[in-house]
Amino acid sequence: MDALRTHQLSKQFIQKNGEPFIAVNNVTMSIEEGKIHGLLGPNGAGKSTLINMITGSCMPSSGEIVVFDNNVTDKTIQSKQVIGIVPQEIVIEMAFTVYEVLYYFSGMYGISYAERNKRIPKILEVLDLSEKAHERARGLSGGMKRRLMIAKAIIHKPKLLILDEPTAGVDVTLRQRIWELVRELNKQGTTVLFTTHYLEEAEQLCERITVLNHGKIVKNGDLKDIQQEFSKNLIRFELFDRNTTHLEEVQQVGMAYNYPIKNLRDDLDRIAAFYKDNLKSIRSEAASLEEIFLNLTSK
Amino acid sequence: MSVALHVFSLYSREVMRFRKLWLDTVFSPIISIILYLAVFGIVVGTRTIGDINFLSFIYTGLLCMLMVNSSFANPSFALIISKNVGTIADLQVVPIPPWGIGVAYAAAALTRAIATLVFTVLLTIWFIPLDSVHHITVAILAAILTGLEFGLLGVIFGMWAKNFEALTFITTFIMQPMIFLAGVFFPISTLPGIWSTLGLLNPLHHNVNLFRYGITGYADVSPLTSCIAIVSISLILFIWMQIQTKRSLKN
Ligand SMILES: Nc1ncnc2c1ncn2[C@@H]1O[C@H](COP(=O)(O)OP(=O)(O)O)[C@@H](O)[C@H]1O
Ligand SMILES: [Mg+2]
Repeated sequence: MDALRTHQLSKQFIQKNGEPFIAVNNVTMSIEEGKIHGLLGPNGAGKSTLINMITGSCMPSSGEIVVFDNNVTDKTIQSKQVIGIVPQEIVIEMAFTVYEVLYYFSGMYGISYAERNKRIPKILEVLDLSEKAHERARGLSGGMKRRLMIAKAIIHKPKLLILDEPTAGVDVTLRQRIWELVRELNKQGTTVLFTTHYLEEAEQLCERITVLNHGKIVKNGDLKDIQQEFSKNLIRFELFDRNTTHLEEVQQVGMAYNYPIKNLRDDLDRIAAFYKDNLKSIRSEAASLEEIFLNLTSK
Repeated sequence: MSVALHVFSLYSREVMRFRKLWLDTVFSPIISIILYLAVFGIVVGTRTIGDINFLSFIYTGLLCMLMVNSSFANPSFALIISKNVGTIADLQVVPIPPWGIGVAYAAAALTRAIATLVFTVLLTIWFIPLDSVHHITVAILAAILTGLEFGLLGVIFGMWAKNFEALTFITTFIMQPMIFLAGVFFPISTLPGIWSTLGLLNPLHHNVNLFRYGITGYADVSPLTSCIAIVSISLILFIWMQIQTKRSLKN
């Protein structure tokens, strides 16, 4: 079963100057149940808008969203019930304690009193917030607030967990903890959709990605397939001495160089002949997600 | 799928919100009532109106005004604040339909209005020359209907308004004049000409009238008319509230 399906989904905003602006343009995608799916794209690509339409906080201009067989337009409540969302912005009820925030929020998902009082201490433990349970959320540090947002999103055990840049502005330790938790939840059967700035995170976490640019899908599919597709035409080599002239087609990527392949054998010969013993290493390389990303979204 | 517990949880949260600030939300209105009563008590003395004491006339009007104010303020403040800090996003994602969100906020408003009323009455009733309550059920009904009606209005307004300036505007230019022309301090019929008609058309006048009738037995217009007017207005507000909530949460 698909955890999520969107069909020709679009969102048009009316800007301040009265001009329409298409933030999400005809997006058709799906996520199989049990998968971790990365949604990538530069700032302003429309990721959050897409997510907001899925969670029901933004009305689509056209198109369809189905969450576990519930069309969000006519089965809004049922679909909201199975979604957990960590929004991009940290917003917290300042007047309430950490415990109260979770208590009322999970209540709004219909979790019984007994169950709430059982789950909250556990979740606080997992997210290392137990000591803060009865303190006002106002006084939490940024990282703690972020963890509380995550606790809010998973307390009702959603079948589809959506995280909108959960690691933006978060230190390395917490980032790793967040992804560990996401993996753990995924193992227990939760389907995950997330966006991130850090491409290496996506590379490590998910099998499938969707790349958005200017509101449109520019790539959608298996990460491995996409990497292969891009690596087919790439030779990567390193040089001892980088102070040298280059072949015309060569691009510098960090400390290394990329060369687009026309004919692998000829090209290898050509590079070897040109750089001779300055050549430190050479191989045909799987493109990193970062390169793919730059390539796809540079237009 | 039943959302009763969902709605009740939102209601509980909103009750908890004003309980945390009970000095401001429940207690401080009592001070202004006491001041009004002190001043009017001196001025009107033992004067009567119809066959009731003038002070109890004013007292019942003030109590009704108190409920109108606190039930309107509760949801409108809470919603405008949550828009400012962004916690409105919670309401956008939880599995509660728009009517449920409105009902939870309106019910919390009613709870605060009743709590304020009970506190105030307990503290002030001793100074009022009131021997008996005319029709306690009518008074309770009037109190509940008033709390819900203005709770719903507060939800509509809180959903619609973007900032506190809008709230100040509505309070100063709409609520205050309405309260002034609602027969809180004097019978509507004593107003000159057009004002008297305006007063009778003022929906708030019916709340004051019904509540006052329940406590003292004094009525400007038929209590039944007032009751029908309040119920009809509340039903319209209930529908309007759903439309406004849906629109505001899907922007
Ligand atoms: N409410 C809105 N009104 C007008 N434009 C908006 C609104 N929300 C988002 N946008 C625009 O839509 C585009 C996509 O935004 P967003 O979905 O937040 O991108 P991302 O999350 O990928 O960074 C941006 O250009 C943004 O300015
Ligand atoms: Mg975003």
